[in-house]
Amino acid sequence: MSTLQYNRLCFHLKLAILWMFFSGAVFCIHVFASTTEVKTNSDAGKFIMKSYFENYESLHDSSFEDFMAHQLSSSLCQGIPDNWNVGVRLSVRELSLVGEGSHRHLSSSIRLQIGAASIPKLPAHLCEVIVIQRLPLGVFADPFELQNPHKHKAFRDIAVFGDTNLELPSFQSNRSAVEFHIDAGFNILFMQNNGTEFNLLLPLHARYQPLDESGYSVVEIGEPDMLMRCSVEGKQHKQSCLFMSPPNEKAKSTSATVAWKIPAGMKAHAGFVSVITFVTALLSTLSIVYASMFWSGTKVSKT
Amino acid sequence: MISLKPRSILLISAIFRVGLILFGEWQDTHMEVRYTDVDYLVFSDAASLMASGQSPYKRTTYRYSPLLAFLLIPNSFTSRCWGKFLFSASDLFVGLFIRIILKQRKVPDDLCTYSMLIWLFNPFAFTIGTRGNCEPIVCAMILWIIICLNNGNVVQAAFWYGLIVHFRIYPIIYALPIIIFLDPRFFRSGTKPLLSDWTSDQGKAHQINSELTDKCVVCDALKSTFTRSRILFGLISGTVFLLCTGFFFRLYGWEFLHEALLYHLTRTDPRHNFSIYFYHIYLNYERELSVLEKLISFLPQFIVQLVLILCFAKDLVFCFFVQTVAFVAFNKVITAQYFVWFFCLLPLILPWSNMKLKWKGLCCILLWMGAQTHWLLWGYLLEFKGKNVFLQLWMASLLFLAANTFILIVLIRHHNYGPVFRQHTDLKTTKTT
Repeated sequence: MSTLQYNRLCFHLKLAILWMFFSGAVFCIHVFASTTEVKTNSDAGKFIMKSYFENYESLHDSSFEDFMAHQLSSSLCQGIPDNWNVGVRLSVRELSLVGEGSHRHLSSSIRLQIGAASIPKLPAHLCEVIVIQRLPLGVFADPFELQNPHKHKAFRDIAVFGDTNLELPSFQSNRSAVEFHIDAGFNILFMQNNGTEFNLLLPLHARYQPLDESGYSVVEIGEPDMLMRCSVEGKQHKQSCLFMSPPNEKAKSTSATVAWKIPAGMKAHAGFVSVITFVTALLSTLSIVYASMFWSGTKVSKT
Repeated sequence: MISLKPRSILLISAIFRVGLILFGEWQDTHMEVRYTDVDYLVFSDAASLMASGQSPYKRTTYRYSPLLAFLLIPNSFTSRCWGKFLFSASDLFVGLFIRIILKQRKVPDDLCTYSMLIWLFNPFAFTIGTRGNCEPIVCAMILWIIICLNNGNVVQAAFWYGLIVHFRIYPIIYALPIIIFLDPRFFRSGTKPLLSDWTSDQGKAHQINSELTDKCVVCDALKSTFTRSRILFGLISGTVFLLCTGFFFRLYGWEFLHEALLYHLTRTDPRHNFSIYFYHIYLNYERELSVLEKLISFLPQFIVQLVLILCFAKDLVFCFFVQTVAFVAFNKVITAQYFVWFFCLLPLILPWSNMKLKWKGLCCILLWMGAQTHWLLWGYLLEFKGKNVFLQLWMASLLFLAANTFILIVLIRHHNYGPVFRQHTDLKTTKTT
């Protein structure tokens, strides 16, 4: 190829690339500008799980229940008999796993009821429902997937806490939890409400399980923990407090856990898999070595 | 015969890639399944962190050089597609460099065109760049190194080689063949090495410069190891590598060293992938593997690499190709993006192969795709249907290795091996039929 032809070719390539960048960038900027962004309202309030992990190193059921019972008590809405919010009920109507394989969705249907004994004398307030889904060891939620604006427009905030390493098998990882903040609306405590439902669809992924003789490992996912946080305008600044359902309310829910059967390696395979793997590697090696030496064209001179 | 001009091919390829990128953006916004590679989101996040003065390694699973995050900083303030356009542009450069390398060896226009098309319209190639994977940059740099070596430009080749090994550790396997390739008989000070031209007489096995090829490669290497070109190449590439690594170590500390370099050297992944070792690793993940076990799994790779280098180093591009195929096939982890590493070299060796597309070539293509599809079917049952098919999947990976080995042997068998360079003075040649 002559120098002139080479230079021309390079020039045309540069033109093609410039055109590519220009036209594509114009379009992408337009798309980017018009895409609905995830609502990351930093004023929505502190994450409960963030507070939990400021006090505890990892997620355990006993530590979390202790945290909910004691450490959150100071944040409960005051002025109500027994510190419980008689009028507010949060319950799980339905909990199920949707899909097959290692990538599924946890579907939860949450019901919010405001009873007759509500608080009519409160100033204007904005409430959000907080749902905390604790995940067992064998599954995880991808925090970056949860930022997908297409899927999660309805939530004010979503975050994953705990072990967010996506690659580790379950026997080398720790538990995690997903916290959702859902807009419950303005002044809802003024109105008696027989039931507002929120449907959550949480994408989950299975980790590699410990070896099991049966070839499967069963992971159980329990109900989420739910609270409602209301913010009222105080004299000097915004105040917020939490409503929690009484402990005995949880016993009334219909579906306690869902079970996920995940394939696991079988210890019985270990011996012969290792042997055959190495033998196959050896045979391939010998074949390539033989072919290379026989057909490389390097021959020893006879003279 | 294809009568398309190279600039038309490049233009059509560019338009096609723009279309794919734009389609990818639409798909990401409107569909459940994203077009964009997860890795691109990782790069972009790392670039955003870097742009705000933070370490790119705050982004989990970012396991690349900070150079990549640096290249993608414009993602944060111009368009999030910037990186995809950069990778696709590199893709086009690979097509151009393929033509340049073949033209350096006086390969006819029609073969050059076919070779360009094999890369530019290879589905692996155009999807990998448009989905936001950075491998096209690596491929372009490797081909540029070949161009520099063919031109006798050792200094520039060494610079880019040091940079590419810092960027992506796997090209370290090319170090020894390059050193052998810098034969003092061809690389003399002040003289550009003479390339041996492609010839249409592909039916016979030539032994060009037989006095040279008859000698033991190992003996040559030992006798004249420390030549000017070799020392220069080693010093410059080593310096560039150490400078880049040292600079980023200064900025980001051990986190950089671990994530960008050490992770790749020691990586074992129990999760299913094309490698024959995945199930063995998973079944033994809870216990520490013994030194003997680690050595046994490393030996096949080491032996194959050594033999391929010793047999084919003088035909550098072919050596790179067979080394890369073998490296990927025997690696402990194999993902689909690794295939691009040898796909970019395949068009460069085909003009020297006497294997016809009908029917041996087609059989090889179908065998490779068939073995891969077979593996993917079992992978689908495991991952998306939740069936315990670990054993079947592992057997499919054994078959995939067997297919790769067979195809590699067939390519070796049909390759017209010959050194890239010839001496300035004529020597007696012996033709063997």
